[in-house]
Amino acid sequence: MSLNPEMIEKIVLQVLQEMGGPKPSAPAASKETAGPGAMVLEEIGEARPGTRSDEVVVGLSPVFGIKFHKNITGIPLSAILREILAGIEEEGIHARVIRVKHTSDLAFVAHRAAKLSGSGVAIGIQSRGTTVIHQKDLAPLNNLELFPQAPLLDLPTYRAIGRNAAKYAKGEATNPVPVRNDQMARPKFQAIAAVIHIKETKGVVPGAPPVELRVKLEK
Amino acid sequence: MLIAGIDIGNCTTEVALAIVERTSEPRFLASAITGTTGIKGTVDNVPGVMECLSMAMAGTGKGISDLELILLNDATPVIGDVAMETISETIITESTMIGHNPATPGGIGLGVGKTLLLGRLDEAYAGEQVIVVVPGHIDFSQASDQINSAFQRGVAIQAAIVQKDEAVLIANRIQRTIPIVDEVSLVDRVPLGMLAAVEVADPGRSISTLSNPYGIATVFGLTPEETKNIAPIARALIGNRSAVVIKTPSGDVRERRIPAGSLMLIGERATLEIDLQAGAQAILQAIERTGRLRDAKGEPGTNVGGMLERVRSMMSNLTDQPMEAIRIQDLLPVDTLVQQAVVGGLAGELSSENAVALAAMVASSRLSMGRIADRLAKETGAQVQVGGVEAHMALHGALTTPGADLPLAILDLGAGSTDAALAGKDGQINVIHLAGAGDMVNLIIDAELALDDRNLAEEIKRFPVGRVDNLFLLRGEDGTVRFFEEPLDPKLFARTVVIKEEGLAALPGNLSIEKVRTVRRKAKDRVFVTNTFRALNAVAPAGNLRLLSNVVLVGGCALDFEIPGMISDALAEYGVVVGTANVRSSEGPRNAVATGLVLSYADSTPLGSSPSVLPRPLAGEGQR
Repeated sequence: MSLNPEMIEKIVLQVLQEMGGPKPSAPAASKETAGPGAMVLEEIGEARPGTRSDEVVVGLSPVFGIKFHKNITGIPLSAILREILAGIEEEGIHARVIRVKHTSDLAFVAHRAAKLSGSGVAIGIQSRGTTVIHQKDLAPLNNLELFPQAPLLDLPTYRAIGRNAAKYAKGEATNPVPVRNDQMARPKFQAIAAVIHIKETKGVVPGAPPVELRVKLEK
Repeated sequence: MLIAGIDIGNCTTEVALAIVERTSEPRFLASAITGTTGIKGTVDNVPGVMECLSMAMAGTGKGISDLELILLNDATPVIGDVAMETISETIITESTMIGHNPATPGGIGLGVGKTLLLGRLDEAYAGEQVIVVVPGHIDFSQASDQINSAFQRGVAIQAAIVQKDEAVLIANRIQRTIPIVDEVSLVDRVPLGMLAAVEVADPGRSISTLSNPYGIATVFGLTPEETKNIAPIARALIGNRSAVVIKTPSGDVRERRIPAGSLMLIGERATLEIDLQAGAQAILQAIERTGRLRDAKGEPGTNVGGMLERVRSMMSNLTDQPMEAIRIQDLLPVDTLVQQAVVGGLAGELSSENAVALAAMVASSRLSMGRIADRLAKETGAQVQVGGVEAHMALHGALTTPGADLPLAILDLGAGSTDAALAGKDGQINVIHLAGAGDMVNLIIDAELALDDRNLAEEIKRFPVGRVDNLFLLRGEDGTVRFFEEPLDPKLFARTVVIKEEGLAALPGNLSIEKVRTVRRKAKDRVFVTNTFRALNAVAPAGNLRLLSNVVLVGGCALDFEIPGMISDALAEYGVVVGTANVRSSEGPRNAVATGLVLSYADSTPLGSSPSVLPRPLAGEGQR
């Protein structure tokens, strides 16, 4: 009961020190030290259901790009978003980016985005990098493709995720995105992932509607 | 007394359980069917037989110990096997052509110029016509920036060749519309400083200039002599949405015939030698000319030689006969196409190469049936009799089909072989066994769809396909639409699926319904319809199909959802009534042999009192 976020963070730091791993400052680096201006996410009003069937909606978690600018392994979130959008564009599909504010649960972020997507297909992504491709007719906890181990996702993988989502929207058969597997990813990153998630959940605004974002990516 | 008739087939084992009494017709209690364990005609079959027996017993109140007599078919002394050899290959020398079809090329039109690496674009002078080559380490935004600044300097960039899948991304970011071909994996092997042409067609259309020899000649200013040489390139590009052709001094595309070797057919009438390259039709004709095959040999040291040796050694292992004693009794060749990587290609291009698939059939040892009988007798405690030629028994069983009468021809469509038997009014029976049946169809489907999964091929053979348009809607291959209350499994989303009785199974890759359906029907046609004609021609009186009146289909493949229809269509013009058997009015095309075993026992023993259905004795088997 007494386990609050601060305590978990403390424990994580201790564990990391004992592992002789990254310096205590390392997890802190994944917070807010990314260079400013890499990505501008401007809110332009409440997100509406899409009418064009050639779109894929990308649903961002509540503090993606606000509190966090890098994912769990330090990849800039701007680069991740850029790759996903590029993957969608290469398939000739239109991408729309929204921010879901009422939950930090990836399944519900993505499912909400899918409900707003003209094609019914959406990508949900959390600040730590975990990603899912969702479809509006599926139960929230189901999915088309789930990429649960964020530490194993690199930029080409994000490009492929965008491409696959676009293919689903076009009704084309896809080959599952190849993802590396590593049993150590879980024990190694679980604590940090928990900390990031707690921070993300703090950014949740209960009852707030999803908002449409204008994305400006600077190369 | 309780009798079991047992039919061990290539694929399934069937049992008919009956009580045969002195005073009445045989009374059938139950039938059962299971998969055959091991290869037909070996002792490995016994576990399957035992399982099938106990399945039949279940629900009859009887046990295996009540069984007094087991009748075993003298398994048709044939075992089929299939093999395939590729006989052509496409080779590109000096990378003259990239004929691959990336899913998403960019831009539109035809561009002609000298190939130039993106990094050396500043060396191009204003007005120079170039085609930029973009290697994979350069990002799309960087590439489009460089192309745009070159445009501004007045360089006439005509087209682009890109390594990564970024053609649309670049096309969307540059000032002019140029054709862009991407996913050229071996881009570093594209010759630089050479004249090249890139063409991209509108979505849904295919290129028109580079697939036309005179189009290429126009683009590169070729002489009539050179035009003749590039004809194969143009032909290879027909149907593509995008293509690249590069003019190098000595580049070439060739289709090479692989020396696959020749077949020696030793027949009753003649011994012929025929090259495998001649194709299926020519081989079939040669087999016809030799008369009944006694053996076939492949030229040693060639592909076909190795192929027939493999069949021989497998059969000799299975039947415990020396390899020299294995004689090939029939061959069914079928022309197919297999997807092969183009030798020397730059983007993993595939090309459909010719191949010949061969089904071979060999005589198996009759000794092993005796061993099966001994083992069965030991395990059940019942008396076991081996007897009855399979085709005769199948005729016996098929005659229990309502509406069937003598003269009657049966076509037994199995897994390993296609058999035909004709019983005339006088009781004369003609029998023929031919290589090639269900397994052959599987092999062809597997190869032509590049599945590499024989079980999946079997499912494609047995069930229609459809496409899951969305999670509530399944569109069948005939255009019918089925809706679902609950969303389907997301793994099926936007996929072509096999519609099985127990559910849907997704096919890998991006196979279209049409492609799967065409390949499936063609495979069935080339195996079953071809064999139907071969078989019926062999057993029909004077080889004249018009003299056949009734043809009844039995065997597992007679249950297929389209094979009976295809055979029926093919035979319609000969005025032959073709239909699927319904053994004992209840078993469909199954259980004919097992039923026939029981019936012929009842007829032929003093126990039986009912008149014979077939004129007895089943006089001389006239094998033709």
